[in-house]
Amino acid sequence: MNLTLKVWRQKDAQSDGGFVEYKIADVTNDMSFLEMLDILNEELVAKGSDAISFDHDCREGICGMCALMIDGQAHGKDKAATSCQLHMRRYQDGDTITIEPFRAKAFPVLKDLVVDRSAFDRIQAAGGFVSVATGNAQDANAILIPKQNAEKAMDAASCIGCGACVAACPNASAMLFVAAKVSQYALLPQGRPEREKRVLAMREAMDAEGFGHCTNEYECEASCPKGINVSNIARLNREFLRAAVLAE
Amino acid sequence: MNAAKTCCCQCSCRLFEFLESSIGKKVMIALAGFLLCGFLITHLAGNMFMFGGANAFNHYAEALESNPFLPLAEIGLAALFLLHIALTIRAKFANMAARPVAYEVYQGKGARTPGSSTMAATGALILAFIVIHVATLKFEVGGSKGPDLFAHVTGWFKNPLYAGFYILAVAGVGLHLSHGVQSAIQTLGVSHPRYTPMFRKLGLLFAVAISVGFASLPIYFGFFHHDMACCAAKGGAQ
Ligand code: HEM
Ligand code: FES
Repeated sequence: MNLTLKVWRQKDAQSDGGFVEYKIADVTNDMSFLEMLDILNEELVAKGSDAISFDHDCREGICGMCALMIDGQAHGKDKAATSCQLHMRRYQDGDTITIEPFRAKAFPVLKDLVVDRSAFDRIQAAGGFVSVATGNAQDANAILIPKQNAEKAMDAASCIGCGACVAACPNASAMLFVAAKVSQYALLPQGRPEREKRVLAMREAMDAEGFGHCTNEYECEASCPKGINVSNIARLNREFLRAAVLAE
Repeated sequence: MNAAKTCCCQCSCRLFEFLESSIGKKVMIALAGFLLCGFLITHLAGNMFMFGGANAFNHYAEALESNPFLPLAEIGLAALFLLHIALTIRAKFANMAARPVAYEVYQGKGARTPGSSTMAATGALILAFIVIHVATLKFEVGGSKGPDLFAHVTGWFKNPLYAGFYILAVAGVGLHLSHGVQSAIQTLGVSHPRYTPMFRKLGLLFAVAISVGFASLPIYFGFFHHDMACCAAKGGAQ
């Protein structure tokens, strides 16, 4: 199939960017979206132009690097999938596809489609961990964990930090990300000792990065490649309220 | 928190930090929103006396106005509105700043609702309505009340423009609440796999009930009800 791509090009963080239109021919159904971009880039490089920069690493939906806004949808039109898992069979001959970087003040564009998501790292560093000396493996049944809590914690921990929640949110809020990172520990006994400290510090770091306020539009959940549930956001609100009252 | 601070200062710092936080602001918006919902219920219940006729409604209004605590309640109500509006405006500006460059194409994945994507617009509509509502029915702009409040209100409802805007505004309240109620529940941290879907439906039901309830007044008294004078003139026994 033959496609028209409207791609955001921006030289560096300081420069202004704009859309550039590209025609690409002979795209096949079984190409992935990123392979299609690879082919376009090879053509661009062969012509002596600058290749389109985009982030990617694992190309199998586990690293969270491939942050692309495709036709106004974070990671493209599929649900519960990353951009690298999107395939060209979802498009038809003659389609025009608009590709933009994730847009948020806290995610500045570095080049073309590549954004700086280190704001997430700084939120994590503020409290998204458990400070325990692990020592030797202890008896497996020494700490009892209800199965449903273990499952919810595991679901929350499947967040790959790709930033789609921020990209899709009409308010560029990072609540789903922070909610997942708070929940994965709040649900487990190992996370309890630092419960209040963690949520207060991570909320503060989140706001300091300039993310928006959550207005419960739930576009984050709909766009999350890992299907992280917004019930985690309710838990984050609950944990924050609890900590705001109880923390010493 | 700095342990060296005195208790009072620490408490107020804490409170300030909470109110300035993104989640704290949302919690205050939600609490104010819930209390405003409580006001809507009592206000609607009172207004239903209109269906009992002029005497019933005027008696109710007299009883309400002779309550010495009414001014206090009115100040509290105004404060709730101001708090709700001030915090939503601040949150709105912060959210606009959080995405300085807009998307060329924004589609989302279908989670937004008609209510959720129009909160600021329906909020502004409600505010405009409240100004007109209070001006005409309380401060007697455009016509004085006289002793018969019922006649005053139905007189306004007979103006199709007034009645039409009233109906539009209470539809706006319904749209606002179709998102607002479930949103406030989520903001207050209440979520349960079984009850949350039920709360969402109850929120919708509440939104519909409130707007239909309020809209019934201008619809009936504006377009269907014929007052005594006209019926008497016709010799009718209504
Ligand atoms: C009858 C009066 C009103 C009631 C019962 C009401 C109720 C609510 C509720 C329950 C919420 C949800 C809070 C949350 O998400 O946590 C809300 C949000 C909001 N309200 Fe109101 N409200 C009223 C009037 C107004 C007015 C007069 C304005 C503005 C001028 C306004 C603007 C907003 C905005 C912008 C939001 C937040 C939008 C969002 O969360 O997506 N509201 N309201
Ligand atoms: S490249 Fe790793 S998730 Fe897409």
